[in-house]
Amino acid sequence: MSDRLDDLERRIDELRAGVRKAMRVRDGATARVLRAELRSAERAWDALVTGVQPKAKEHPPRLVTVREQVHQGLRLLGAAAQPRLVVAVSEAFFGGTIRSNQLTSLRRDEERSFRSSPFGRPYYLCAALTDRLSPARGLLTLSAWPLERRVVGPLSPRVDFLTCAIAVAEQETDDDRAVRLLVRMARNIPGATDGSLGPPDPARVAEAARAELRVHAERDTRDRAELAERAAAQLGDVARLFGAATLSTIKKEKAK
Amino acid sequence: MSGLKREGDHVHRLDALRGTTPQQPHDARAIAALAANPGCTRRALMDGAGIDKDAAAQHLGFPAPFGQSPFAITRGNVFESLVKADGCAELLRMLRELLGLPIAEVSYHDVENVGAHLRAAHTRALIDRAAGEGQDAGTLYDHPLLTLEIAGHTAYLEPDVVAFQLGGRFHIVEIKSFAVVDGQADPAAVAGAARQAAVYVLALRTLLEELGHDPLKVAHEVVLVCPENFANRPVATLVDVRKQLAVLRRQLTRMTTLDRLLEGLPDDLTFDLRPGEDGRPTRPVAELADALRRTTARYAPDCLSTCDLCFFCRDEARQEGASDLLGRQVRDELGGVASVAEALGLADGTRDPAEGQEEIARLLRNAERLRKECLN
Repeated sequence: MSDRLDDLERRIDELRAGVRKAMRVRDGATARVLRAELRSAERAWDALVTGVQPKAKEHPPRLVTVREQVHQGLRLLGAAAQPRLVVAVSEAFFGGTIRSNQLTSLRRDEERSFRSSPFGRPYYLCAALTDRLSPARGLLTLSAWPLERRVVGPLSPRVDFLTCAIAVAEQETDDDRAVRLLVRMARNIPGATDGSLGPPDPARVAEAARAELRVHAERDTRDRAELAERAAAQLGDVARLFGAATLSTIKKEKAK
Repeated sequence: MSGLKREGDHVHRLDALRGTTPQQPHDARAIAALAANPGCTRRALMDGAGIDKDAAAQHLGFPAPFGQSPFAITRGNVFESLVKADGCAELLRMLRELLGLPIAEVSYHDVENVGAHLRAAHTRALIDRAAGEGQDAGTLYDHPLLTLEIAGHTAYLEPDVVAFQLGGRFHIVEIKSFAVVDGQADPAAVAGAARQAAVYVLALRTLLEELGHDPLKVAHEVVLVCPENFANRPVATLVDVRKQLAVLRRQLTRMTTLDRLLEGLPDDLTFDLRPGEDGRPTRPVAELADALRRTTARYAPDCLSTCDLCFFCRDEARQEGASDLLGRQVRDELGGVASVAEALGLADGTRDPAEGQEEIARLLRNAERLRKECLN
């Protein structure tokens, strides 16, 4: 082993001298190549000294479309969620590669696709519906969900958050990102953490979230059922998935 | 009758001051800045008439590099969305800790769900329902739109969140992105936030009064949400804004009774920029500057962070050698001595103190003597 170390040290010295020479004659291209070699030699030297094998390269991102990644994230969460949360979940549990800004035009694209060939896809990423049956700002849902799950009453943002927290807590994983996500969510649920700084116990988080959920469940279910009924009665296919334009809702209400 | 006529006169007079320049609507920041320098006649008149001070300053050749930096705005927006993310999860946690908000109180209304033109009316309806029905109506109101009459014109205001609690009181929530490090924050930033929040409290109280509810249902304590220490984790504190409210109310009543200020002005005075067809001002710069100089300003270095005309007034104060330049504290200590030259004259004895200046002259001479002793 020390032989190899000696070899490497000699090689590093040579490369350093080479880089210096190249810089002196202002030969940028050669210097760059030598530097890269120098760096890899130094890494090998580090690995030999500490005895740690360099990690194999991380798996290249899988070739899954943004749309599919969002679908996976939403299916795991099981409730209307903001793009930020969907991205975090997709990253933590599916090795996702999406960024929030890729999601901005998603809903519009889905709507366009649905308009040109209705029900042509097995699922659509669509809007959550507000109490005015207009699309809620910044919330994504799946077309496969029942309408009750896709409408947002006054208590629903909190209920959805708790539902998402339970879903995240119930995933079995030891990924750092998943733990961080759970820490962030647990902080905002009463009784989910024991006050220590360490990672929270997933079972405890889920239990605490369920306890709070029980407080809101009855009123929220009632609100949602009422909204869903209205949406089913008043909206056409497109509006039911992507929300009615605000103005037309008002006109309709006036006309009655 | 004469009161009515007077009021009409004064609106007419203010319109004449503005001339043909389009009116500048007020926002919370601008209204809050009013309370920052209540003694300034120039500012009171220009705001009362709704004059675009920024355009005036640019035309005069003293543009203020004013407004927030785009980075600060982005940072503010990111932090705000973090606080409001996931059904205001962070905000609910803080309100529960701070105000003892019950677990069941999580209802969230986004006023922005209606079209932009209906937001003010929708806010009104929601607040009316909350104040009337009590606890069952809702807890958090996001993106509300309040109105406030400023010198006869309506200003539209957007508080970050209005929270309504079981105790039957409304709390204004103000989300700011300056950090609270070790329980301490920049006093100037906190003061600014408190002034701005006071504007919202006042607007909400006015709204409740109009709707026939008790205006004191709006708490005089606002919830200030800031990032804690060096992380992005939000922390909430209660800030008492009674003092700011009092200043603001006084300033606003002063703006509606500008008569006294207007009486002292010549009849033909106007701050009109005479915008041409392309909206560019065509009035000669010297003429506008003369018109402005006929109103008294009360420059203080703090103006640099609150008023668009700051550089113009600073330049004026410099030319006069006014003691205002040295800051409020120095000005107050030099009471009765208007300019720096005068103060120096009094100090080295080349100038005899006028009546009432004996005390300050004695102090200045003493200071000068001490200074000489130190230097020798």
